Amino acid sequence: MPYIEVAGKKIEVDEDGFIQDPSLWDEEVAKFLAKGEQVEELTEDHWKVVRYLKDYYEKHGIAPMIRKLCKDTGFSLKQIYELFPTGPAKGACKIAGLPKPTGCV
Amino acid sequence: MSGHGPKPEGFRTIPTWEVAKQPAERPRKPAAPHPATKKTLRELGIVEVPDEHKIQVALERLKEQIKERRSYMLAMESCVKCGLCQENCHTFLGTRDPDDSPVGRADLIRKVWKRYFTVQGRLFGKLVGAEDLTLETLQKWYAYFYHCTECRRCGHVCPFGIDTCEVTMLGRQVLFWLGMIPALHADTDVAILKSGNHMKLTKAGAIDTLEFLSDEIEEERGFRVEFPVDKPDSDIVYVPSSADFMLNPDTLKGAALFFEYIGANWTILSTMTEAGNFGFLSDQYRVQRELYRRLLEGAKQLGAKKIIWGECGHGWRAAKLYMRTMADMNNWWHIPVVHIHDEIATYIATNQLELDPSRIPQPATLHDPCNYARACGHTDNMRIIIKACVSDFREMQPNREKNFCCGGGSGVLFDDPEMYPMRIRFSQKKAEQVRATGVADGAEPGILCAPCSICKAQLYPMVDEHELNVEVKGLLDLVGKALVFRGKERLGGTNNEKNQ
Repeated sequence: MPYIEVAGKKIEVDEDGFIQDPSLWDEEVAKFLAKGEQVEELTEDHWKVVRYLKDYYEKHGIAPMIRKLCKDTGFSLKQIYELFPTGPAKGACKIAGLPKPTGCV
Repeated sequence: MSGHGPKPEGFRTIPTWEVAKQPAERPRKPAAPHPATKKTLRELGIVEVPDEHKIQVALERLKEQIKERRSYMLAMESCVKCGLCQENCHTFLGTRDPDDSPVGRADLIRKVWKRYFTVQGRLFGKLVGAEDLTLETLQKWYAYFYHCTECRRCGHVCPFGIDTCEVTMLGRQVLFWLGMIPALHADTDVAILKSGNHMKLTKAGAIDTLEFLSDEIEEERGFRVEFPVDKPDSDIVYVPSSADFMLNPDTLKGAALFFEYIGANWTILSTMTEAGNFGFLSDQYRVQRELYRRLLEGAKQLGAKKIIWGECGHGWRAAKLYMRTMADMNNWWHIPVVHIHDEIATYIATNQLELDPSRIPQPATLHDPCNYARACGHTDNMRIIIKACVSDFREMQPNREKNFCCGGGSGVLFDDPEMYPMRIRFSQKKAEQVRATGVADGAEPGILCAPCSICKAQLYPMVDEHELNVEVKGLLDLVGKALVFRGKERLGGTNNEKNQ
């Protein structure tokens, strides 16, 4: 299994770069993963989305519906794509340490 | 080669010599999806067969399968390489790789069958087109059987009635037992076993999403529609696609609005929120059966009288054709299982729904999902519904059972760097079809109605890749919008006056 090394920590990821154990996620990990998703620097707007995703996942065990993400964070889908060029499900969720979405997505 | 039975209207046979002449873009190593991790395989209860045993196990499994399902013999023995399937296959049209055609893919198994299980193949080998099974061949199976979208257009046109989709299913099943499964399919299979749906949707997540959708309907329409979950004594269990909870909210809302309109006593089962069935696409035994078991047990506990299926092509095919026998349902319980489109079409045909097509003035076309069209007799009812819901309906050509696949069928929704570009090629034919309808020509986006979760997941990015000015929507999305709730609805703009 591939892994990434962040601040001395060895973290397992799958072939698509999603971390396997969400409990190992922290801000440093997010910054590292962001670079692979065409996000050079995580601004306050990025963090707003990332923290929202992380909180929602901790509460509900799943990522939120994309429309709900937009409504609750106040960003339009277009703005989300501007912030995360690889998209909300695969880009933003990966940075937030969520597992890769499965099924028809 | 021609003259083998009547040719379906609108199809041209490629003569054998032309097939042979076609530019072969046969790549040395075909694009293949990322394989499942060992961890996922463990969760699935699969141990990858070590390389040194793979050939032997594959041959044993292949023999068992062909013995168990004698229909495969037709595919193994009857093909005359007429080439008709090639030019009717969207993957071949998109890639021009002969192995990426129905006949080419089936030959990957056929040559092995010949070599090990026929007298002439054992004696004369390559002279009669027989080939040893090698690890390289297995890798080719893995790549090409996960390029095939199991759309069955080839089966529809084959003059001998060979259903090459079944050959793909045979290949994928043997690969499943070898532990050669794409990450997407294996992860989704694990989600099925753990959560009863493809997305690991939890009850808490489902309820939160449904409350959000109730709020949305209230904001848009001025009245509230609830989405009951696990409600005891429900008459109807509705089976939504789990992708609707993430990507297709208007499809879920459309179903709820329809149930509200007819005053149904309905519910969603939190233990089985999946209209699809990736088991059908990777493991037609344990994983496929798991969703049926969860559904029937859950519906029985609630005392439901009817199961209504949501928008999903392959899942509806699996449920309609195979659930009864796989779950031994007739032996212990009788419950009708119907598709929501069939229900809605019946209500429309008997004048029980008021739908206002002026609410959807954009030009709209319909993509017939393959499994609905070529396996479920679904095409008339989809048209009854869409014509009642939109003002400007335009047929795509070819359509109904002759329609081309979206290019993502059977879970070919891989987004890894090797496979994503293949999906763009596989959807090239679909893009041509949509463009030809003219629905994408206006300044405002037209509507591409694709009432299946896999089609939607494939087409959302593909309409951008092919620069089509359309919005991808489900059929239930349109029903929800067009339904007129007299005396209940807060109406805005022109509709307001019209419906007063």
